Amino acid sequence: MKLSFIGLVFRQVRSSLRHLCWSHMLTSLTMALTLFVFGAFMMLQANLEQLLMAWGDQIHITAYLARALEPTELEGLLKRVEILPEVERVRYTSQAQAWNDFQSALGAQSGLLEGLPHDVLPASIEITIKRGQRDSSTLEQVAQRVRGEKAIASVEYPQQWVERLGLTVLAVAWGKWIVGGVFFLATFFIVGSTVQLALYARRGEIEIMQLVGASETLIQAPFVLEGMLQGMVGGALALAALWGGYTLLREQIEGFAGALWSVGYVRFLDLEGAVFLVATGWILGAIGSLVSLRRIVKTWRSSVVAV
Amino acid sequence: MRIQLRHVSKTFPPRQRALADINLEISKGELVFICGASGAGKSTLLKLLFRELDPSEGEILIDGHDVTRLRSRGVTRLRRKIGLVFQEFRFLPALNVLDNVALAAQVLGASKKQSRVKAHQLLKELGLKDRYDAKPFMLSGGEQQRVAIARALINEPALLIADEPTGNIDDDLADDIMQLFVKIRDRGATVVIATHQRALIQRYGARVIKLERGFITDASSNNVSMPEYIW
Repeated sequence: MKLSFIGLVFRQVRSSLRHLCWSHMLTSLTMALTLFVFGAFMMLQANLEQLLMAWGDQIHITAYLARALEPTELEGLLKRVEILPEVERVRYTSQAQAWNDFQSALGAQSGLLEGLPHDVLPASIEITIKRGQRDSSTLEQVAQRVRGEKAIASVEYPQQWVERLGLTVLAVAWGKWIVGGVFFLATFFIVGSTVQLALYARRGEIEIMQLVGASETLIQAPFVLEGMLQGMVGGALALAALWGGYTLLREQIEGFAGALWSVGYVRFLDLEGAVFLVATGWILGAIGSLVSLRRIVKTWRSSVVAV
Repeated sequence: MRIQLRHVSKTFPPRQRALADINLEISKGELVFICGASGAGKSTLLKLLFRELDPSEGEILIDGHDVTRLRSRGVTRLRRKIGLVFQEFRFLPALNVLDNVALAAQVLGASKKQSRVKAHQLLKELGLKDRYDAKPFMLSGGEQQRVAIARALINEPALLIADEPTGNIDDDLADDIMQLFVKIRDRGATVVIATHQRALIQRYGARVIKLERGFITDASSNNVSMPEYIW
């Protein structure tokens, strides 16, 4: 595109922004509403993933020792488990520590333990598996390997819980793509229709440009640029509204979520999420304008020419 | 530009015939008047020439090329060689008079400065030097007509198509505008004007194509002794 054309395109955009200010603002607001719903879904998704991750952090394999081990023997065992590729960390709990933990867990009823020898509970090692590998088959593999150690008497892990969590993680991951995809498509069509309505109002302008011999690129470029701007403003407004809603309702939501799932806090979109939301508005504005414009020009051409 | 129409018909749905079996030839550098009563098919004939409409039948050749077969880019290229004066003017409401005229040159690649200088000159010639900054809706019908003419002339077109270009203006100004069209013709452009102003045709003595209910009743003379009802 020639430099003079670029200048012309920008002058047209500037003139349109000045003269059709309200129409542009209305389009941006409609986009903002749609992007707000999309952004709220992104936030819900991010918090759900966070929640599942927190639940996953509570999954451990507990291996009980058959007998008290010499320090060098214990060190060797911990090293052998720690270097397994799936293992994130290993924590040793001595018999005395296990007794203390049990007592604290019983709280006011710890008197029930009176008279029992303090070495009644076995020493154990708590194995935490790396994030992303906390599925039932990995846990079983690690448990099998640990069971092979002579010093280990038994190995336990919450198999049912792991399987349920695995299914939930899978459902959330699929939900992310399916619901996210549906939301994205809905956003695309709403933005497209909004842009299309705005373009219908400027039909005469496009016709005049066609009649004075403007190329399709020259006709479309200002509208696409305007669509980008509207989308970006819409995305930024949606982000601001989400932040406002989050700040206002944060305590109530956290209280509700805390009561339901023991979640301590609800987080806002991270930087990538925020950029993604504004970029979605930007891209949808551009694509929406381009697709609508092509459809409109095609419809006009066929309605005018083919009679 | 040389224009040839061969067996051209145009019917609007459901069965409204606007033009029927039109055969016509206009030579390069010729000034032609198309006349006829309202609804005779003048505007339809003009719109076929710059592909705002397609014929229902027949072919339209401009410089030997059938314009009915042109694709989108071809139509754009064709329109760049044509200057158009519409009956309903068609301006961009957000732009002032000067920019509406200059835009037609800018879409063909002229710089903002070049196009504005040219637009200035044309508007001055057409008696609009005090109206550069006005928005089109602020102008009278006659002034809008002149702005439309300036826009059509700015690219020095090879073919000028004008639909009732002097309809809203007084006789003196109509004469000035016709002189301008003659000048354009003398530079080698083809000029096709649809009009129902008998006096204008008589004064300029160019070929007259008479249309009546979609048919050409006479395409070869400059004789204006037509029945009154046509006018």
